[in-house]
Amino acid sequence: MADKTVLLVDDSRVARMMVRKMIEQNRPGWMVVEAVDGEDGIAKFQAAHPDFVIMDVNMPGISGIEAARRIKAGSPDAVISLLTANIQEPLRLQAAELGLGFMSKPARDDALLDFLTVGAP
Amino acid sequence: MSDLIGEIERDAITELLNIAIGQAAASLSQLVEDEVRLSVPFIDFLTLDQAAERLESEISGADTVAVRQCFSGPFSGDILLLFPEQRSLDLVRHILGENVPLAQLTELEQEALLEVGNIILNACLGSVANQLGMVIESSLPAYLRGRSARILESGAQRPIALGSEGLAMFLHVDFALLNKDINGYLAFMMDIASARHFVEAVRTYLNGRL
Repeated sequence: MADKTVLLVDDSRVARMMVRKMIEQNRPGWMVVEAVDGEDGIAKFQAAHPDFVIMDVNMPGISGIEAARRIKAGSPDAVISLLTANIQEPLRLQAAELGLGFMSKPARDDALLDFLTVGAP
Repeated sequence: MSDLIGEIERDAITELLNIAIGQAAASLSQLVEDEVRLSVPFIDFLTLDQAAERLESEISGADTVAVRQCFSGPFSGDILLLFPEQRSLDLVRHILGENVPLAQLTELEQEALLEVGNIILNACLGSVANQLGMVIESSLPAYLRGRSARILESGAQRPIALGSEGLAMFLHVDFALLNKDINGYLAFMMDIASARHFVEAVRTYLNGRL
């Protein structure tokens, strides 16, 4: 599989470290770009044109949902999944309505690899 | 406070919390790759001093690190994850792996505990919200360190409004990692007005099921 780029948006450095490690172990050679909040995520998306976006929800500034919505508005084909500790059903529904994947924290190898293989629904 | 919560509501809240904390424990278990043992949830109406005293005895009088989130919705309050300070670095080591150098581990301790708190507290809140069919918003997690009394009294984004008898509702569970000699404590705090809304939500939940 050709090397791809993953944009990882999370205000927690530790959360980014954990997911980056999982990607590097399972997809060696892939590039991981990190963003520290929603605004930064939008800017890094426009600069890096990633193949996949993994987006936290509860962050300072705009939420991950809003950041994903803005990315999708400009790039409807963007492949984005939420990765969040918030497991409430309305958020899952909102993700589905926006065409986003949904992964709960802590990230699991199988869910992450599934997303990095087949993308969001 | 017997007018606020009857036996059936107490049973229902215990079961609700068992499920919610089971969800949180599953998340913690995945993070540390160990089995998590849980106590039976404890529900009581206490003053802040009584709650702090109870916490101190649970955590053997040691300093504590805590991650605290405020939640709001049909009812509001605070949810806390607490660990004895002397074991918090061990917990972070188990999560980040043995290969992380001590200097980096120490540097990352606070951020790692915030992320652990974020995951566990939201798993618990999310489960409560899903079971009751409600949406509960939560703040970003805050990190606190010190004696239990200080942690309970400070750090909240809004003070707990105590009832006329100076009481607030406390729901908590002790947990322990089976093979790692690490224990902790998860607590909900709600003022009396919110506790009434919470109990009302539980009654509605029961009415649809009993």
